[in-house]
This record gives sequence, C-alpha cells and structure tokens, in this order.
Amino acid sequence: MAISIGIVGAGTMGAGIAHIAALNKCTVSLYDINEEVIRRSVERINFEMKRSVDKNKISDDDMKQALTRIKKRTNINDLDTCDIIIEAVLEDLRVKKDLFKKLDQIAHHTAILATNTSSLSITSIASATKKPERVVGMHFFNPVHLMKLVEVVKGVRTSAETITQTIAIAEKLGKKTIVTKDTPGFVVNRVARPFYTEALKILSENVTTVEEIDRIVKKSGGFKMGPFELMDMIGNDVNFSVTESMFQQFFNDARFQPSHIQKQLVEAGMFGKKTKQGFYNYEEK
Amino acid sequence: MRKQIKSEKIKVKKRPTAKHKLQTENSKPVELKQLVCLLGNEALVKEYSAAFQEKGIAVQELKNLASLKTSAKKITAAFELTLESNGQKKKNLQAFDETLPEHVPIISSSLTETILSQSHLLKHKHRFIGIAAFPTLLAHPLVELAPSIHTSKEIADVVTALFESIKKETAMVQDGVGMVMPRILCQIINEALFTVQNDVATPKEIDDAMKLGTNYPHGPIAWGEMIGFANVVAVLDALFQSHHEERYKVAPVLRQMAIAGIFWKKEA
Ligand SMILES: NC(=O)c1ccc[n+]([C@@H]2O[C@H](COP(=O)([O-])OP(=O)(O)OC[C@H]3O[C@@H](n4cnc5c(N)ncnc54)[C@H](O)[C@@H]3O)[C@@H](O)[C@H]2O)c1
Repeated sequence: MAISIGIVGAGTMGAGIAHIAALNKCTVSLYDINEEVIRRSVERINFEMKRSVDKNKISDDDMKQALTRIKKRTNINDLDTCDIIIEAVLEDLRVKKDLFKKLDQIAHHTAILATNTSSLSITSIASATKKPERVVGMHFFNPVHLMKLVEVVKGVRTSAETITQTIAIAEKLGKKTIVTKDTPGFVVNRVARPFYTEALKILSENVTTVEEIDRIVKKSGGFKMGPFELMDMIGNDVNFSVTESMFQQFFNDARFQPSHIQKQLVEAGMFGKKTKQGFYNYEEK
Repeated sequence: MRKQIKSEKIKVKKRPTAKHKLQTENSKPVELKQLVCLLGNEALVKEYSAAFQEKGIAVQELKNLASLKTSAKKITAAFELTLESNGQKKKNLQAFDETLPEHVPIISSSLTETILSQSHLLKHKHRFIGIAAFPTLLAHPLVELAPSIHTSKEIADVVTALFESIKKETAMVQDGVGMVMPRILCQIINEALFTVQNDVATPKEIDDAMKLGTNYPHGPIAWGEMIGFANVVAVLDALFQSHHEERYKVAPVLRQMAIAGIFWKKEA
C-alpha cells in the first residue's frame, strides 16, 4: 500500500523530501503557509526531475507519474489522512512547537510526526503534543535527492515502534538510516563540527591562510572540499548559528566554541557564495 | 648485534637513480646520490620508506643509533619520525646533529612539540625543519612542513626539492603543535569518540553516518584506528599542553582505546 506523506514547509528541504517521496511511489501532500512557495517548489521539483530524465536516471513516465502524486495543499487540515507528517519549516523552536501542537490536533491518531530540525531538541518539540511517543526526528541532508543518509532521532519519549516505522519509511524513500539519541547536533553535525571550528581556530592563530588550510585539507587529508570553501557554500550565517546553538546546548563546552572570525563575516553580511563574498570572493570580474 | 646492523644495510634501488645537485666548497657542482635515513615511529618509517623507494630514492631504515656513524657521510637527508616528544627522540636528534655533515637537513615530526623547542639547544639549529608526519597522510599528494625561526632558506628549499622528487607538493605552515591536517583530524576523531562515550549512536553507525552525510574519505573511528589511537591522543594531549584549553580534552573512551590499542566495540 502506498504511504501517504504530509510535508509542512515547502522550502529547500521540504521540496527535496517531496521529490524523493513522489519518485518512490508515495503520495505527497505538500503544504506551506506561503502558497507561492508551494508553486515554486513544485516547479523546482519538475526541473530537477527533468534533469534526472536527461541523465537517464529515471524515465519520462516515472517523472509524469511522480508529479501526479504531489498534491499542493493550502489548508493544513488536509494533512489529516497522512501516515506521516514531516515538518521542514524554519529553524525556530517556538514556531516548531506551535506547529506540532496544531499537527497533533489534526493528524490521524496513528500518524507519525517527524521533524527535520538540524539543531533543535526533538524532546522539546515533542513536548508540545499529547503523543510524544509518536514524535521523531528525521534529519535529511541537503540536497535531499542526492544525499543517502537520514538520521532517525529518538526523543526521550519516542516509542520503539515509532522508530521502527520511521526507519521503514526512510528506507522506502531510498535512504540509509542510523538511529541517534536526541543530543545536540545528533551525529553528523556534531562530529563534523571540528572540521569547521578547528580550521577557524588554526586560522585565528595565524598558522597559515584560508587558501592554504583548504589546500592542505584537500591534498594532505583527501577531503573533497576545504573547510572554508564548505562554510562559504553552506553559508557562514547558517554554519555560525548551528555552531552557536550547539555551544549553548552543550552549556558552553569549549569544544564547540564559535569563532570571532566567522562571527565578523556574518556581521559584515559576508555569508559566502549566496552573497558573493565570504572567506573567498565570488564576484565576477 | 651484528645481525641487526646487517638488516639495516642500505636498500638498493632498482629504478633510475635520483640525483641531487650540491655546491661544493670550490663551487663545482657534483652529482650526489640521495640517501634518506629514517628513524622513529615504526609505522611512519615504513610509510616514508616505501614512498621514497617507490620513486627510486635509496633509504636507510635505522633501528638504532649505533649504525648511523658508518653511513653518515652518504646520508643526504635524515628523518626523525618519533611522534611523542620523549627522551629517545631527543637523543636521536642530538646524534643526527652531531654525526651528520652540517648541510644535511634534519626533518623531524613536530606534531607534539614545536621544531623550535626540539632544536633550539642543538648546535646546527638552522638545519631542522618540522613535518606533519602522521600515519595514513602520506597516501595523499601534499606534505606539511614547519620551519622554525632558525631554519635556513637553503634547508627549506632542499627539503621541498626532495619531496618534489617523489611527486609531493609541500605547504609551509607556522611552527605549532598539531600543524594543520593532523590537528583538525584528531579533533574530528575525538568528537566521534565523545559521541560514542555519550552513547548517541554505535561506533559503526557514527562511521557510516559520516561517510554518507559528509564526504569524508574514511569513517572517523576507523580512521583513528588506522592512525593508531595512541597517536591521536598524543597530538591532543600536546595541543592541551600548548594551549591550556578545554577544547582539547580527550574523550575518556579514546584514552582507554589508546591504552588497549584496540577499537572499542559497543556490542562486546
Ligand atoms: N538547508 C539545509 O541544508 C538543511 C539540512 C537539514 C535540515 N534542515 C532543516 O530543515 C528545516 C527547513 O530548512 P530549509 O533550508 O528547507 O528552510 P527554507 O527557508 O528553505 O524553508 C522553510 C519554509 O517553511 C515555511 N514556513 C515557515 N513557517 C511555516 C509554518 N508555520 N507553516 C508552514 N510553513 C512554514 C516557509 O514559508 C519556507 O518556505 C529547518 O529546520 C532546517 O534546520 C536544513
């Protein structure tokens, strides 16, 4: 039987999840408070799928079928029949808690409520509902259709059954899963933190330059990208706020201390590629 | 005793000989056969030895200092690859400096003690240069070097040329504990072990997640095992010593694995 997936928040991540869900034969109800965003997301999914067709990754028919499975929803109450609702709205605990309170009321009583949060506590989000055992973290990576991993996050009160079902759904979406406890940054964002913070620390001590650190990390460690290129790509604003949030959640543990250098880039509006300036300059000459 | 010396005989190269030009006192350039001598950490000596020999450069793996004198005149570069800053390393460096001709560069692992601190009491401190010699890294095309404030330009150039001759590029960084790549890498491995320590996920899940969720060449825990957990801890402890900052504290489980020398299996 086809799984019915509700998605709340049709931004970068919501659209990506809708994309893979539809391709994997799930019916998708795509909702956002902003109707225009839903329309643009479906356009983007259309565009991405066309590229996959051009690369012979999927057939034209696969694409047509998939697109018919995506329903644009402008009323959140229409998610009432979904087997799972995945939330991918902006990273704000207040907003997410309000939303989960609402979803708890409208969702089917057996539905799983999942959040794609990168850095907030699943346990805290779940506390806004009457069924915290049905609330789980489902942490996808960007771009969703290319990144194979989903971190399934077990909140303090998440039930074992919810975890089992969530793993099955993630696998149905073609993903590999790991189960993690609800601790700041889960696994990937946490273990990857020193890649950024230690590089920034080395830079702050003037051991060598941005360009040299990137060159060394790629050519002496075998990493695909250097830390500064990567921070510019992720966005220094986003990267800094994740570090800052983890630092706070770990009660100011020095291991997660944010860097002044990055803070100043953020203050200067030098977010990286998206603003054409960051550690590097991306302006066309 | 005799047997030992025998086993240290100079390895004969099979490939075309790499030549190294050297200005003699009367300015006549002479062709000098390269002979790289290696001493210290066994795994690193093996890695470096293989890398040089593969490119046709003769190598002498020293098991101890006794055999240094006999070949001293032929040695063109000497590597001291002991990771920890211990008494033996000190002795080795001193013997190198006293025995080898003055122009021969001495390249010493400087991940747990700066090259300045290793060499400042020695006679020819200009010829010492630090290297980020760390297991697994020599598989890649770049080598990190750290000159001290005393290191001469000639020595830095000769060492750069030596690595060029085996197709490695070099990066010169400031003389600081951990240098660049080992420092970042050890902190990643340490955080992976803190994550194990906190029971967030199993070691295998953590490695799988990092390979799939980032594009790291290896899972950090498996990488730590390849490097040797004791080596990772040595670098972290040295960073803690040099910075006095809590960020370099070692995950207790990592320290245990460093002692046990094995991968801590959650299932066991
Ligand atoms: N971008 C990434 O790389 C990435 C990776 C993993 C996880 N995440 C997480 O995914 C979530 C979404 O991130 P994104 O990058 O897709 O953000 P985004 O800004 O692209 O999209 C967020 C969308 O949520 C909508 N929205 C806001 N409030 C809403 C509400 N109350 N109800 C319905 N829709 C609402 C907005 O209109 C917007 O379209 C965040 O929690 C983020 O931490 C992001």
